[in-house]
Amino acid sequence: MLAMDQGVVEEWLSEYKTLPDSAVSSYAASLKDKGALIPALYKVIRENYSDEIVDKDGQSKVLSFTVPSLSKPSVYHEPSTIGSLALTEGALANHGLTRVVYSGPHLQRETFTAQNKFEVLTFLLLCYNAALSYMSMTSLQSLCQLSSRVCICGYPRQQMRRYKGISIRMTVTSEFLVQLITGIHYALCNGEVELGSKALDDVLYRAQLELFPEALLVGNAIKSSLHGAALKNNAKDGGRSIQVEITPTSSRISRNAVTSLSIRGHRWKRHDAVDLGSPDELMDISEVDEGVWPGGVCPETTPTITISNSVTTLNLGAKAMKKCRLGSRASKDKETAPQITNRANGENVELTVKRLTLTSSQSVPKGGALTSLTRTASAVFSRSFEQVASGNSPNSNHTTSEAGRYSCSLQEEGLGYLSPGPNHTQRSPSISVHLGSDL
Amino acid sequence: MTAKKSGSRLETEIERCRSEAQWDKIPELVRQLSAKLISNDDLGELLLGECKLQTYLKENPIKQGASPRGPRPKLVEVRKHLTAALDRGNLKPDYLQEASLLMAKLCYVEGDYKDALGHYNKVNLDELQLGGAPVYRLSMIAEAYATKGLCLEKVPHSSPSLANRNTGSPSSNRGITERDQEIITCYEKSGDIALLYLQEAEKALSAGMQNRSPKPGPATQEQELGYFLETGLQRAHVIHFKNGNLTRGVGRFREILRAVETRTTQNLRMTIARQLAEILLRGMCEQSYWSPLEDPPTVSPLDDPTRHGHVHSKNYTLSRRPRVYSGENLFCPQENTEEALLLLLISESMANRDAVLSRIPEHNNDRIISLQSASVVYDLLTIALGRRGQYEMLSECLERAMKFAFEEFHLWYQLALSLMAAGKSARAVKVLKECIRLKPDDPTLPLLAVKLCIGPLHWLDEGETFAKMVIEMGEKAAEFRAKGYLAMGLVYSLKATDASLRSLQEEYQRKALAAFQRAQSLSPTDHLAAFYLALQLAVSRQIPEALGYVRQALQLQGDDVHSLHLLALLLSAQKHYHDALNIIEMALSEYPENFNLLYTKVKLESMCKGPEEALLTCKHMLQIWKSFYNLTNPSDSGRGSSLLDRAIADRRQLNAMTLPDFSSVHATSIAASRVEQALSEVASSLQSSAPKHGPLHPWMTLAQIWLHAAEVYIGMSKPAEATACTQEAANLFPTSHNVLYMRGQIAELRGNSEEAKRWYEEALSINPTHVKTMQRLGLILHQLQRYSLSEKVLRDAVQVNSTAHDVWNSLGEVLQAQGNSAAATECFLTALELEASSPILPFTIIPRAL
Repeated sequence: MLAMDQGVVEEWLSEYKTLPDSAVSSYAASLKDKGALIPALYKVIRENYSDEIVDKDGQSKVLSFTVPSLSKPSVYHEPSTIGSLALTEGALANHGLTRVVYSGPHLQRETFTAQNKFEVLTFLLLCYNAALSYMSMTSLQSLCQLSSRVCICGYPRQQMRRYKGISIRMTVTSEFLVQLITGIHYALCNGEVELGSKALDDVLYRAQLELFPEALLVGNAIKSSLHGAALKNNAKDGGRSIQVEITPTSSRISRNAVTSLSIRGHRWKRHDAVDLGSPDELMDISEVDEGVWPGGVCPETTPTITISNSVTTLNLGAKAMKKCRLGSRASKDKETAPQITNRANGENVELTVKRLTLTSSQSVPKGGALTSLTRTASAVFSRSFEQVASGNSPNSNHTTSEAGRYSCSLQEEGLGYLSPGPNHTQRSPSISVHLGSDL
Repeated sequence: MTAKKSGSRLETEIERCRSEAQWDKIPELVRQLSAKLISNDDLGELLLGECKLQTYLKENPIKQGASPRGPRPKLVEVRKHLTAALDRGNLKPDYLQEASLLMAKLCYVEGDYKDALGHYNKVNLDELQLGGAPVYRLSMIAEAYATKGLCLEKVPHSSPSLANRNTGSPSSNRGITERDQEIITCYEKSGDIALLYLQEAEKALSAGMQNRSPKPGPATQEQELGYFLETGLQRAHVIHFKNGNLTRGVGRFREILRAVETRTTQNLRMTIARQLAEILLRGMCEQSYWSPLEDPPTVSPLDDPTRHGHVHSKNYTLSRRPRVYSGENLFCPQENTEEALLLLLISESMANRDAVLSRIPEHNNDRIISLQSASVVYDLLTIALGRRGQYEMLSECLERAMKFAFEEFHLWYQLALSLMAAGKSARAVKVLKECIRLKPDDPTLPLLAVKLCIGPLHWLDEGETFAKMVIEMGEKAAEFRAKGYLAMGLVYSLKATDASLRSLQEEYQRKALAAFQRAQSLSPTDHLAAFYLALQLAVSRQIPEALGYVRQALQLQGDDVHSLHLLALLLSAQKHYHDALNIIEMALSEYPENFNLLYTKVKLESMCKGPEEALLTCKHMLQIWKSFYNLTNPSDSGRGSSLLDRAIADRRQLNAMTLPDFSSVHATSIAASRVEQALSEVASSLQSSAPKHGPLHPWMTLAQIWLHAAEVYIGMSKPAEATACTQEAANLFPTSHNVLYMRGQIAELRGNSEEAKRWYEEALSINPTHVKTMQRLGLILHQLQRYSLSEKVLRDAVQVNSTAHDVWNSLGEVLQAQGNSAAATECFLTALELEASSPILPFTIIPRAL
């Protein structure tokens, strides 16, 4: 069945390839009469999608990547030489390397519906983008033209571009636009300057009209990062246009303008009673004095130590660094075995399961993680539906246990926000759901 | 300098000065040296020659990219010293080599490239010892390789390819010749040795500082690399990229970055890290990527296919190499986004370290440079993280950029967008306010703000202010003007729903209608304008007019789920239940997982096909819910990425809820209505299975499904089953007024009016304006013959929602029981009239969002 559909599509493609440029538009106009083509295209797209979302064992594929962290050593850096890292909640939560899913798992789709078509298209574009380097210039050009068309058809800009044909607005999603932008970015940087910038402008235009923050964010960043970059339009040359120049290695910024250094300068004055040769050594001392230096101040508080060991809060000179490494090694020797295992764990890729366990205890009154709830849901579901069907009245203890369970969940959930007013009914906890109020 | 230094000490001192480039000290040391030993005269000549050459270059630095034309300097004195040192032949072999290298460098400076090459050939650079050599000699060797490379590039060669390149002709044979390869190898060796030199120099410097306390070194100023080392470090990858050999260029970048950093290389590393990130993001993809510790692919689409003879890996070895980052558990990226992110985080930390925030005029140039270099890094971070949908982390990164952001629109705007994408709506609105201040003419900004105010925040007054801004821009807002009116209409429409006074409600409805009409006339091709106009007409029960506009909306966007839903509800208002069900089923074929449509389906099925069908639909909804949220595998997910995480995060938010202000009735009703609103938003946000931001709340959906099932059971007079379903919802939201209302209904079904009354009273204590509860309570009070209280409750209900026909009906009954038949008749008539236009579910279950 699929082979037949594939045949139809291939035939169409080869037919298209043989067309002279002048015949393209009349050929395109006649496409709608090719009755077999559209369903065949749908079929081929769906099959491709179904193939791509599973791995070779037929399991749902999950695409993930590791978010690097500066607090873990890498092939390019050592945490101790990185300057201060902001100790925000986010930074702490992200202390280890985090594995993050960016696509999948996807549901198998029997049919192409209005609801799932963008999920499918976005995923297929993701696959296309993963192979951008292998795409021909023609393919990249088509991507740019397609992006422009999809984004401006039915909007005032269509008249400016004088696009004929469809003038219906096509629905898009923000995620879909982000994937388009990724492809356009590649085209833009690899020879398709003109078409690429036009396409990027058109996608941004649409993203603005739709008020899509994601697409605006990425599109703006691309525009801004290319600002001033000389892009070569060498499409005909067939070449990719990535170029670099020799840049001066000395800082273009004068040292006394740098804010952090000028702040250090102030500290230095405070310590000028101590006469030491170099500012480095001074740094060493002043930081110990101010208690910033973790190893020297509180060697017992292990969790903070582990964090501050790698997240050096100040940019120190070489000597001070050596000192502190020695210091922390010494204190580490005194640590007990569990802490060592802790550290070992920390150096592996940390899956953020801890977040889950943390929340599960306080989340659902009855179960915990979502999975257990689903199980409950289906279990009770079968009680209330199937048992009804067979005429059994479901367990009467439901009603009796109700009150108990009720107060129990009150204790679990309500403690923090029970009304202080004494006259209120006992079941007065709040139900205001501040969805989205994230402050 | 009175005391003379002993021999070895003197030599050490000379070595140190050469290593630290303190050329001004050399003449004095040479004087002491020659006073000690006659045979050191030649060494003296060497040192003086070197010191004069270096001093000259320090005062007249060669600039990158400066054309070498113009009169060449003649450094007569330097040549005299070096010739003297070389000619007499008394020097130790090491020094002899040094003299030759210096002579070659002199030749280069004077423009005699061929002579320079002759000297290098005599010395044979590859045989110079790297192990155990004093620090300064490493620098000399690195410079020598770089200079040799420069000379080779300058001296014309018989090869035609080189001639072609110099004239810039892109055609003909562009293969990589052996000589090209030799040039590259020179630079690569130079770069490697330069890195080694810088590492050794730093080590020596810190060791020296410990040993020699009172005498300060050169004020620990960063050493400047100078033209030759700079060229050696960078020229190789520049040539690789020029030749279209991306593979090797990237490889070279990585080699430089893997070498342990020194102070002097910090800026170079920052630049190269950023450039490599750019290449990874702009010129590579997942499939053409290879990891830094892997061998590059032998054939890569990244390399220019029109050039031949690409060499993909290094083809030389050195006896000593720069130290690289090493150790256990070293993170090595496995994917282009990972590597780009790592590099950008490193660049970011460097850019932040060198931040110039001072606004005084003298620092202006420095500040702009520091802003620009940080800005590029943040833009690239945005591209990398945006592609991967990591908006939460992105918003944290961009928050760090804010130290640069004073009056910088781009940084503010990007932060606002990232906060919005990360679902941090309240902060996003605050940041958008600053954006509006910086760019008051941009209509997108207030529109983004109003989108958040209408949607997740439900800040209707703020939303009104933002919408007014857009409208006041008038013609300037262009295409966005219609959107401004649409936003305004939505604000009023939502305010009307929230309002508890009928007069206020009607006023807002009027305003909303006017705004939607304006939007529709400004943008007749926008299906949203037609749709919301239809919805507003429907809410004010102008059913035929609403049908007209919803048809128009469907002509513009045939598969719009909300328009289809509205059409079905309108048909149900006209009591065409079967048609309505058909529309719903059609809509469901396109949106099979839309819970909002399914709720309506349940209602319509109970009406047309009987409760069994409706129960089957409830079961189907539970299955969808399960497959939907069970799909995400918790162990793989990171923060904020999966539906599950979002659900749990939301759930946490739920637990951390604050008590609404009970002193104000109004605030309570808002709080409760938010729950309602959230419930309907949940349903709407499920129309696309891609994770959406905002109040996506699986738990609420689940509770809603159970409550619908309970309702069906109540309709079947099966209290036990209804109780079981309600209990499921209660487990999730024990204090939801909807749950309490359902319990009341069950109690009524069981004939237990007293209990029902208690439940209703509790529901109202949570949401005092829940009309359905008020209606049932009114009825019960009526049954208990507490007429005046019943009347009061029902009149309140009518105030809240004047279109609830069953409330009017109940009110009529109460009035009749009290003997007030005239008023009762009027109520019955109103009820009848309203019932004729009443949809099966309120029109307001259709979400209203921008």
